[in-house]
Amino acid sequence: MAQRNASRRGQKKGESFMDYSLLFIVLFLVGFGMVMVFSSSSYEANLRGDATRYLRQQLFASILGLVAMMVVANIPYHFWERFAVPAYIGSVVLILLIIPFGYSSGGATRWLYIGPISLQVAEVAKLGMILFLSSLICTLNKGIRTNKGFMLVLLSPAPVALMLWQITNNLSSAIIVMAIAVLMLFVSCPDYKRFFLLGLITLAVAAAVVFYVVQTAEAHVDDLDFRGARILAWLDPEAYADDTGFQTIQALYAIGSGGVLGKGLGQSMQKRGFLPEAQNDMIFSIICEELGLFGGIAVIVMFLLLIWRLMIIANNAPDLYGALLVVGVMGHIAVQVILNIAVVTNTIPNTGISLPFISYGGSSVMFLLIEIGLTLSVAKGIHLKDL
Amino acid sequence: MDDKMNQRTYHRSKTVTVFFLCALVLFGLVGRLVYLMVFQSEYYTLKARELHERERSIKAARGRIIDANGKILADNKTVCTISVIHSQITDAEEVITVLTEELGLSEDYVRKRVEKYSSIEKIKSNVDKATGDVIRSYALDGVKVDEDYKRYYPYDTLASKALGFTGGDNQGIIGLEVIYEEYLKGEAGTILTVTDAKGVEQDEEGEERVEPVSGRDLYISLDINIQSYATQLAKQTMETKEADRVSILVMNPQNGEILAMVDVPEFDLNNPYTLPNGMDAYSFSEKKRQELLNAMWRNGCINDTYEPGSTFKIITAAAGLESGAVKPEDTFNCPGFIMVEDRKIRCHKVGGHGAETFVQGTMNSCNPVFITVGLRIGVERYYSYFRQFGLLDKTGIDLPGEAGTIMHKMENIGPVELATISFGQSFQITPIQLATTASSIVNGGRRVTPHFAVRAVSADGTDSQSFTYPVRENVVSAETSETMRYILEQVVAEGSGKNGAVEGYRVGGKTATSQTLPRGSGKYIASFLGFAPADDPQVLALAIIHNPKGTYYGGQIAAPVVRQLFENILPYLEKKDYNRT
Repeated sequence: MAQRNASRRGQKKGESFMDYSLLFIVLFLVGFGMVMVFSSSSYEANLRGDATRYLRQQLFASILGLVAMMVVANIPYHFWERFAVPAYIGSVVLILLIIPFGYSSGGATRWLYIGPISLQVAEVAKLGMILFLSSLICTLNKGIRTNKGFMLVLLSPAPVALMLWQITNNLSSAIIVMAIAVLMLFVSCPDYKRFFLLGLITLAVAAAVVFYVVQTAEAHVDDLDFRGARILAWLDPEAYADDTGFQTIQALYAIGSGGVLGKGLGQSMQKRGFLPEAQNDMIFSIICEELGLFGGIAVIVMFLLLIWRLMIIANNAPDLYGALLVVGVMGHIAVQVILNIAVVTNTIPNTGISLPFISYGGSSVMFLLIEIGLTLSVAKGIHLKDL
Repeated sequence: MDDKMNQRTYHRSKTVTVFFLCALVLFGLVGRLVYLMVFQSEYYTLKARELHERERSIKAARGRIIDANGKILADNKTVCTISVIHSQITDAEEVITVLTEELGLSEDYVRKRVEKYSSIEKIKSNVDKATGDVIRSYALDGVKVDEDYKRYYPYDTLASKALGFTGGDNQGIIGLEVIYEEYLKGEAGTILTVTDAKGVEQDEEGEERVEPVSGRDLYISLDINIQSYATQLAKQTMETKEADRVSILVMNPQNGEILAMVDVPEFDLNNPYTLPNGMDAYSFSEKKRQELLNAMWRNGCINDTYEPGSTFKIITAAAGLESGAVKPEDTFNCPGFIMVEDRKIRCHKVGGHGAETFVQGTMNSCNPVFITVGLRIGVERYYSYFRQFGLLDKTGIDLPGEAGTIMHKMENIGPVELATISFGQSFQITPIQLATTASSIVNGGRRVTPHFAVRAVSADGTDSQSFTYPVRENVVSAETSETMRYILEQVVAEGSGKNGAVEGYRVGGKTATSQTLPRGSGKYIASFLGFAPADDPQVLALAIIHNPKGTYYGGQIAAPVVRQLFENILPYLEKKDYNRT
């Protein structure tokens, strides 16, 4: 109760706290993202007669996102508590709407058109899941320590994840939704044992899948679907350089040829038609090629700072609900950054994951900024004394 | 309250755990990045370079072919290839107008190529350098003028079948151009340019060049003056005798160097695909075209065989003398025919030559005399001389497609066959084989290898490589060789070859008139083989007239050709020898 009072007092006195460090980091990443989107897309876009095409769209989505972020930041976050169930149902409905109304691009149907704006439903579902699980965990309270509570939190996002995987053919978003849930659950449970087991099971399943794929490939390659082929391409990208391993190999060429100091901003060769859609999921490889090892590490450090900042906010949140919201956002960003860089460096098999704030993609940057807005709103509740 | 605090505490510690887990994984990824960008950097940089660089080759200048006087027989001229690069064109209309005008192409043709979206589009190749320079002077964006070499033969048809020509990639197709390809072609250079995925050059990346190495110049023994004159004589003879074909071979019997090789009709080396009647070979079907072209390119001196007829009596005489089967002063009687088993073989002189010595028999080209000598030698000995003289092998001349001798198998030779072989019928050899064998019989018994190439010299002149050719000694004894020179000199001085005599020079030789197969077709081959000076042969010539109309005797139409040739080239060769020493 003391916390509540303190924050109320603070607000009354107009000591509204704005986490400028977080804001600065996010603005930097969005700005840097736009520079890199322009750098990686302009050569190919120029050949089609419009060099700034991708930059303009990204700028538009970012401005929209920043406005939404400021609006959300100024709404007390408890406002969203009542939307927990609607957020879940909304996500499900949006995914189902994909079946009749979805818009396809690059072999996958992931977008809905709302007027002139295309919306990637997976981004909505990630945000929806953070809102839903925060509320659910708060409602369960100590009940989460029971196995029943544990399984409820773990399994409630599963239908959404499954639908994302099967309907929108988007395994990476499904993985991210589940990862967010596991991280939120981890933070809200006192024990480690079950998570350690969960981690072991995940690893074992992954190893079994890889083993199965390699065995099947040795017997008869034709039976494998494209994900199986991606696992083979991950193990030996140069053997599959013409098809499944193409993107990976091109990304490795970009990263490797960047060297320690890079070729200089704008000087990437791989973006000139060799690495297709360089502004999307593989943008980190262009960053490495142009800005070198230092540039690549700098970007990772910026993300680490962002996650650190989110940790601080989560740990000083006025209440559990706020903390969980921030942990969800933190998990979302952390998992996506890690998976993206791991894919680009061929540390794990290729799966389409964008780099938060930097990769081209309006829905992604908009919803990430809304999530940052939520975080800022939680941060506003922190009394300065707590820091 | 305690419980709440407790809950807050583990929330915090677990959030911190999450952060450190993330940090740990990110550090791991930084490690991976360091591995890729520091330790694997060289590998991927190389791979990426291979991907980004396009190799354009620079043709090497082909080595020239140079005659004995230093005259260039095969040269290169610079030609231009005009291309457009779509993405670099700024004023398409101007480009279309200029290229249409300067290249004399239709506007539609040029427009289609200029407006086509491609990395580089070739408009026209083999454009004169002058035209290329004019186009370059317009300095149009997106228009590329690339210089290139094209083989060029300054004397057009001269020695066409010996020299040969080159194809689209400057590679030899026939003749010396094929045989000495390795020396002539040089090594292509490369230009490495950096391009985007579609092949558009990235100017700011610059280019890397590996300069080409020019081919070696080939110096050959062929003498343009002798070749020109022999060609004139052959053409003249072909016209006046309405012959199908006239071949003239001139060589140095001492070392095998070929001074001239004529086989008219020749063809234009600069337009090797234009048929003699001026028709473009490409208007025929593939098979017909190849047939017609091959017939036109065929070198009668080496690719085709014929029945040598009486010129072959040189070989029979040499074998007879060498084996002791006959001596020059042996006497014979010719009644106009000779019976071999049940066959009556006629002499060309119906009434017969009567009593005559071997020398006189040779001067008369008397068939019964040579049949008698042949039979005296016997099949086995004759055959072994045949082999010893090198008649069963190819001469090894440095031209492609030399035909082999078509000869009976030894076990199939009976007296009748032996009789016909003795005066040069019932088997076939190439003109170069006859000339080479005759050379070795008159040069003292050394079987030489006929050849053109003398040396190959690098383009900068620093490295010269001389060619050597095998010589087989003692094919006949020096004595037999001397006797043969004496007898053959008599043939020209007072015998059937007197039309081959040149005033002021000692010439030896032998005529031949052979009927082509099938017998009774009325088609003949008239030929004459001559050499001079008779006591120390420095030049040997063989003239072969295929299917002449009217008089067809070798002594009457072929011998005068060699005489005219010798009248001109003997003084010339003497003068050259003065200059040499």
